[in-house]
Amino acid sequence: MRAGRLTNGQFAWLLMLPALALFLAIIAYPLISSVVTGFFEQSLVRPGRAFTGLANFADVLGGDFWPVLRNTLVFTAGATIVPFLIGYALALALNAGIRGSGLMRGLFLFPWVIPGVVVSFLWLWIFNANYGVLNGILLRLGILDAPVSWLGEPATAMIAVIVTKSWASFPWIMVMLLAGLQTMPKELHEAASVDGAGAIRRFISVTLPHMKGIASIVVLLEFIWNFQHFDTIYVLTGGGPAGATETFAVAVYDTAFKGFDLGHATALGGLWMLLLLVLVAFYLRHETKERS
Amino acid sequence: MTTMNRRDALRLLGLSTFGVAALAACAPDATGGAATGDAAAKTFGFTSWSLNEAAQKAAVQAIVDAYAATNKVKIATASFPYNEYLNQVVLKLRGNQLTGAVQVDVAWLGALAAMGKLRDLGAQASAGGYTDVALSSGKFDGRQLGLPWTTGSIGLIANTELLTKAGVDGMPTTIDEFEAALGKVAKLGGGVVPYAAATKAAQLKDIFPWMQTFGSPLLSGDQVTIGDEPSVAAVEWYKKLYDAKLIAPDVDRFDARALFSQGKAAFYDDAIIARGVVASQSPDKALVQKMAPLSRPVLKAGDTPQALLWGHVIAVVEGEGADAAAEFARFATSDTATVADFFQKVQLPPTTTAGLADPKVAGDSFTTEWTEKITKTATANPFWRYAADAQIESAVAEQVQAVLVGNSSAKDALAKAAEAVEGLQK
Repeated sequence: MRAGRLTNGQFAWLLMLPALALFLAIIAYPLISSVVTGFFEQSLVRPGRAFTGLANFADVLGGDFWPVLRNTLVFTAGATIVPFLIGYALALALNAGIRGSGLMRGLFLFPWVIPGVVVSFLWLWIFNANYGVLNGILLRLGILDAPVSWLGEPATAMIAVIVTKSWASFPWIMVMLLAGLQTMPKELHEAASVDGAGAIRRFISVTLPHMKGIASIVVLLEFIWNFQHFDTIYVLTGGGPAGATETFAVAVYDTAFKGFDLGHATALGGLWMLLLLVLVAFYLRHETKERS
Repeated sequence: MTTMNRRDALRLLGLSTFGVAALAACAPDATGGAATGDAAAKTFGFTSWSLNEAAQKAAVQAIVDAYAATNKVKIATASFPYNEYLNQVVLKLRGNQLTGAVQVDVAWLGALAAMGKLRDLGAQASAGGYTDVALSSGKFDGRQLGLPWTTGSIGLIANTELLTKAGVDGMPTTIDEFEAALGKVAKLGGGVVPYAAATKAAQLKDIFPWMQTFGSPLLSGDQVTIGDEPSVAAVEWYKKLYDAKLIAPDVDRFDARALFSQGKAAFYDDAIIARGVVASQSPDKALVQKMAPLSRPVLKAGDTPQALLWGHVIAVVEGEGADAAAEFARFATSDTATVADFFQKVQLPPTTTAGLADPKVAGDSFTTEWTEKITKTATANPFWRYAADAQIESAVAEQVQAVLVGNSSAKDALAKAAEAVEGLQK
């Protein structure tokens, strides 16, 4: 190589410099700053701060951390499994080549293109206890004697939130799985049929093993996204009633921006981030394994 | 191997650096452009939740437009929904992203004052002709941090037509009479909610006047009394109404207004603005004539009816455009023709002696009745003096909600609430 010329590696670093500068400015700095804030008593409305060591973390762990973790896991599991099953079923149906599958594919994508906040307000109206569409229909059909407060009772609020999030996210899962199904060689199914395998046997022995890779990626990504999800829960219940749907995202937001308590909010956020890192590590490990 | 010479690379690096620098230059100014000496400023901001509410938007925008046209200034307006307003204003103030005039609920003045960015409007206050009570609502720690725009109260409103249909003769004056009236309204059926009381956490601070009705002062000196026998009795009574379906789940101020406007609620809590809201929302144009303010029922005859003093002020953020914004705030809150016209459009009573004496205001029977039955005995929320007032109200609301949904007893929940409040008294 002649002197004065860059290697590919050097050139690559040069190209990355602007992105790195932005990363440092808008991701690394705020992240480090928020981790540090967790060790201070700091208010959003008062100037100054005081070092408190691990006190904020101890307060958080001795306070609502465990109920919030439980709620987050319930929401994450529900909002991952339900749309996954719906998306998988629809992907299989559309892949079977039934009439009108092209149109249906477009229609099913509709919930996915609507902004999350709009979806949440739509369902807020559907679930409203006093003038909601759901109660109106169920009362008219005689299924209910009295209106149910879907979002106002702890037993139903989490279900309502999961239903809403599932409605918004099943299309993406359906599209991903459908793409996976369409890469499956037809010969595999034909050979299994020749060997006498029925539809269920072919699904278990041919389709499932083929889809294992993409399905696990979809589930893992959905799980990570739902673990961080905010807008649906915040709009529908604000974490209520009585904390029944309060997940990490809502708890951190409320503590920081309604309670103005940056110290406790960032301590809770730090613990949340640690848990999230475990999930990300799983994802990266899975990715590496898939590639190799 | 693909290569490039060092000069090209440096050129590329220079362009990249320029790009990042340009981005940085476009980024918000960390100092917020804290310019001073802006008497001649021709541009300033006005942030208001009323601009986000259909019933008030046009009236507020008319004030802004009139002032801008007369004074040849440009007013950049911004708005956020009421329930998100405080945190948005706090975030923008903290990030030096907010300048000019800001509409502020009197309950939030403590939190915003703690940030140390509001201008003392003493000079404008003394020239505005405001009543003493109104001026006091904009004071914090002896400084006039807001010019009062409206001063009133939050109290109970009844739908007299529904009460007549239900066979309720006369307005209930005691808790027992109130409960009996709710029972009669419940028998109407048809989805009518007897009392559209707040049951969502966002508005459950409405429980405070009921706690006071049962005899709890909420705060005695600096001693939190939430959790005392009267406050527990109030929450147990509220829970009793909830279980008997005399109050409905999942209701905040906006739901209550919607139910009342549809003729589906006999009572609900609101400010005097209720009349304007109902007039704009209700399909029944005659409903406004059927609305009647009533004194909050008392525990036993002879007790003083409780109501929450309420109002909003216009504050001004120190910095760019502050002088011009202060003049706008004075105009919007004290120009007699403007405040009387504003009252006619949205029914928010003015705060100046001249404004209150204007025939449009003085001749309004609903306002007179409201003042006599509700505002006359209204008191400020004792927690307003704390910067963490909003957090205190949330802490109590969450515990009351836990009682309503059956997760906790009133005694345990209020003990927890009191502990949380004590931690927030700074």
